[in-house]
Amino acid sequence: MAGGGSLGGGGRSKRGKSSKRKAKKRVGFVLDMTPLVDITFLLLTFFMFTTTMATPQVMEMKVPPEIDVPVEVKESQLLSLLVDEDGDLFYFRGQGEAEELKMKDLRNLAIKENLNQINDLIIVLKVSDNVDYGTVVEALDELNLAEAGIVDEMRVKRNQADFKRSRKFTIADLTEDDLVKIAVLKPQSGGSQ
Amino acid sequence: MPKVKKKRVGFVIDMTPLVDITFLLLTFFMFTAKFKSEAEAEQKFFIERPLASADTSKLPEQDLAIVKIAFPDSTKKDTSYFYEMTNEADWVSVKSGIEGLTPEQMQGAQLQVSIETLEALIKRTYIVNPETSMAIDADKSIRFKWVSDAMEVLSTNRFTKFNYVTKKR
Repeated sequence: MAGGGSLGGGGRSKRGKSSKRKAKKRVGFVLDMTPLVDITFLLLTFFMFTTTMATPQVMEMKVPPEIDVPVEVKESQLLSLLVDEDGDLFYFRGQGEAEELKMKDLRNLAIKENLNQINDLIIVLKVSDNVDYGTVVEALDELNLAEAGIVDEMRVKRNQADFKRSRKFTIADLTEDDLVKIAVLKPQSGGSQ
Repeated sequence: MPKVKKKRVGFVIDMTPLVDITFLLLTFFMFTAKFKSEAEAEQKFFIERPLASADTSKLPEQDLAIVKIAFPDSTKKDTSYFYEMTNEADWVSVKSGIEGLTPEQMQGAQLQVSIETLEALIKRTYIVNPETSMAIDADKSIRFKWVSDAMEVLSTNRFTKFNYVTKKR
């Protein structure tokens, strides 16, 4: 802007000298910016309306490749989390008795259980076919958040700065046996049906 | 000597700051603008994504294939699979390997498919470009059965790593 101004001013002062008028000292010159601003605002509104700010984020899932050989695991290392068709949560260790669980307690349970058997615990998320997908993602999200808690606990509170987390997690279908296990815990199922 | 009063026709406002800011915003929006893909433009339904906590990972843009599971109409009675790919060349070559597509479907950027056709498409995708990243974009109130079936198809066809598209909580 400054460069343009001095250039234009120079040109005008020359002409001013030749004329009779008293040369007025010009500090700059006025440029009609209206069309420029018009177009700029037009473009601005266009881009403002067409742009999508919230790019969707993703949650990464890794599933084991299909293998025919069944892997044997210790029962004590298993923690089964059940999500039934109403979106209610239950859990049991190994082959133990099922217990009720609230979504907000899921994270703490996952942290606690993982710290008991560090890097050995296998969490099996057993999901009913009829539950909402949103509930499953919510549960997965809680488990993901638990990971941060586990690493933090180990590195900071237990002073193992080089702690490496190896996560063992799988997702499976809810079986008939599981349904039997949680049937007694369901509030309505015993009385009304 | 009294100054000669000059007749004013109007007044001048310094528009420089205004133009500065406007240009700044303009450039910002121009660089951040992402236009709807062809498939999204064709899409008639809306996906209510499940909520998840903030994550740093974003949906990859290159070589992405999306399995969409949604209610095709607002009554929310039917559920259907949709398949689309961001890589145009791959998408054409994937579709050309599938039997029984109508000429309209060959043109379309998004295919409404059955689970069998979805499997064929995914199989073909792996042959065409095994580096394709997979995403599942499903409505949050869909029965999990639909998602687990899609996951099964993905994992049996060697896509063991995939993404759930979510919304920031």
